[in-house]
Amino acid sequence: MIINALNGLVYGSLLFVLASGLVLVYGLRQVVNFAHGALYMLGAYVGYSVTMHAGFLPGVIAAGAALAVVGVLLDVVVFRKLADRDPLVTVLVTFGVMLIIEDVVRTVWGTQNYAIDPPAALSGVVEIAGAPFPVYRLFIVAASAVMVGGLVVWLRYTRSGLWVRAASHSPTVAAMCGVRTNLLGPLVVGLGAAFAGVAGIVAAPFLSLNPTMGAEILVLSFVVTVIGGLSSFGGAFISAMILGQVQAFGIVYVPEMAALLPFLLMALVLVARPQGLLGKKE
Amino acid sequence: MLLKRREILSAGTALALALTMAGGAMAADDALKIGVPTSRTGPYTVLGDQVVRAVEFAVEEVNANGGVAGRPVEMKIGDTEGNPDAGRRAAEGLALDGYNVLTGPISSAVGLAISSQLNRWDAMYVSVVNKSPKLTGDSCHPRMFRANHSDSMDLAIVKPWLAEQDDADWSIIAADYVWGRGSGEAFKATATELGKSIKIEVFPPLGTTDYAPYITQLRDSGATGVWVALSGSDAINFAKQAKQFGLTDQVTMFGHNFVVDSTLATVGAAGVGVWGNVNYTFSIDTPQNKAFVEAWMAKFGATPTNYEGETYAGIQAIFAAVEKADSVVPEDISAAFPGLTADTVFGTVTMRAEDHQLGLPNYLGRVIEKDGTAEIEVVQSYGPDVAVPPADPACKL
Repeated sequence: MIINALNGLVYGSLLFVLASGLVLVYGLRQVVNFAHGALYMLGAYVGYSVTMHAGFLPGVIAAGAALAVVGVLLDVVVFRKLADRDPLVTVLVTFGVMLIIEDVVRTVWGTQNYAIDPPAALSGVVEIAGAPFPVYRLFIVAASAVMVGGLVVWLRYTRSGLWVRAASHSPTVAAMCGVRTNLLGPLVVGLGAAFAGVAGIVAAPFLSLNPTMGAEILVLSFVVTVIGGLSSFGGAFISAMILGQVQAFGIVYVPEMAALLPFLLMALVLVARPQGLLGKKE
Repeated sequence: MLLKRREILSAGTALALALTMAGGAMAADDALKIGVPTSRTGPYTVLGDQVVRAVEFAVEEVNANGGVAGRPVEMKIGDTEGNPDAGRRAAEGLALDGYNVLTGPISSAVGLAISSQLNRWDAMYVSVVNKSPKLTGDSCHPRMFRANHSDSMDLAIVKPWLAEQDDADWSIIAADYVWGRGSGEAFKATATELGKSIKIEVFPPLGTTDYAPYITQLRDSGATGVWVALSGSDAINFAKQAKQFGLTDQVTMFGHNFVVDSTLATVGAAGVGVWGNVNYTFSIDTPQNKAFVEAWMAKFGATPTNYEGETYAGIQAIFAAVEKADSVVPEDISAAFPGLTADTVFGTVTMRAEDHQLGLPNYLGRVIEKDGTAEIEVVQSYGPDVAVPPADPACKL
């Protein structure tokens, strides 16, 4: 029972980090970023290559830094240019970006699967409820908490965080008040992409790396953001935690329905509360 | 986008072919034309790569030695994308283009989709990877042959192994689709027959990322043996996570189609201790295999993988049938194939006339750690007399 809850917490944490990147970008740009899963996948590959040469921590840093650059480019080249277009156009373009990133990864790293081991310090097990539990999984929870905690502190308590919140609320008014919204775009999208990249490399030690790994997790991240209310961090947190538990317990108690439960939950929320758990009414 | 990718791929293939053919200047009219519809994109691309490498190698080799029955061999590649619809289209394109001796699809579903069209295309199909018992069972076809091991052949060697294991309680984790469910069911039947009990069966969907809830269940079931029927990246995810949870070291684990070179190259130490069927390994002790491995090493600087070895054996069987038929027409080759005795890397093997299954030996092995790297150790070899169960009466040829 405790182990099940813990399993749910681990997966929920990973989903939350990914979803928070989506929320960040949606908040400012009003764009659903289909390339987010590909960024996660790219982060895992970049992190893998650096880890093989320099160790895990440099791998994590490199994945974050490289993806931040990709994010900035994505904002300058795609999101800003398409800012005046129908959001649907931007969504389609991000879908194209996803396909391009997948093909780039295929060309550079090939189609075979890769795997990395957790760093030695985190590779053991701890005894929980009388059974061994991998330390690395606890590290995932901790790392997610630190990342998202840092993000929340930045948004709440710093001046630049205030600008981001203002620009997300109303870009025009924020600009009139002297906020340089043009600079905020690359910053926020870069940060969102860096989150995806770090999530990729942090997840890598318990997954196989392959060009389609992003698509698998992207769908659930979307479900998390939709349930939470598209631009709400608190909502994303609650829904990621719920979804993690629904997955973990669903597999045990209603195995035939387990794959369906997240979507059922989403449908229920959309019917009863279309704006999401903590979303604002338009 | 998908269309684009396919166009680029086929253009690239055509170019590569033009380059290889330019030197040969052989008469193309009576050439043996092999069509290879296989996974060039999608989840089984890694397997498709191996098939293509082995077919190219075999064709190049035979052309250097004067061809088959005095005829040159040509090949062309298509992309099945791993799904039956695209696979049927790719195979049709190749067959209508004259490349009507088909081989190479990964997914059994693609193989089955092709087999229903063989008469219409005037083609034939030789499986080198498809494992579904249906191909040589109720879906068998006069122009379809299997040169690789079926699932029923794998289960035939699992039975004597399972009888020797002390573990009385087993659990099953299998991918939630035709192959996984079929494998789980077959194992359950075998285990029950031997008086073992199945404590729990779990079926994670294809593409599952987090296996922790399943691993916890397997561990809590109290079973000391686990049957694993997962493939591709699913197998890798499970192997890594099961090792991290300590499950792999705690139980007797048998992975169906898990102990293969491409999976092992990725999971490494996380696979150590796992048992599995080994359909081909470069260490098979026959003169034909030694010659093959030597030539392969000289060209690629690495030993051939299991899929490369099995594909090569399949192409050897095709060549033998063409020699016997002294014709490159699919109808003639198909007529010469049943009962044919062929020299392959597995030794001298016979194509069974009743269901068109090649009578191969089979091997059982375990992943061991040697000099810091994980490798496959073949523990037990079984001759075709044990490894090939009787033909399925559902097959009416």
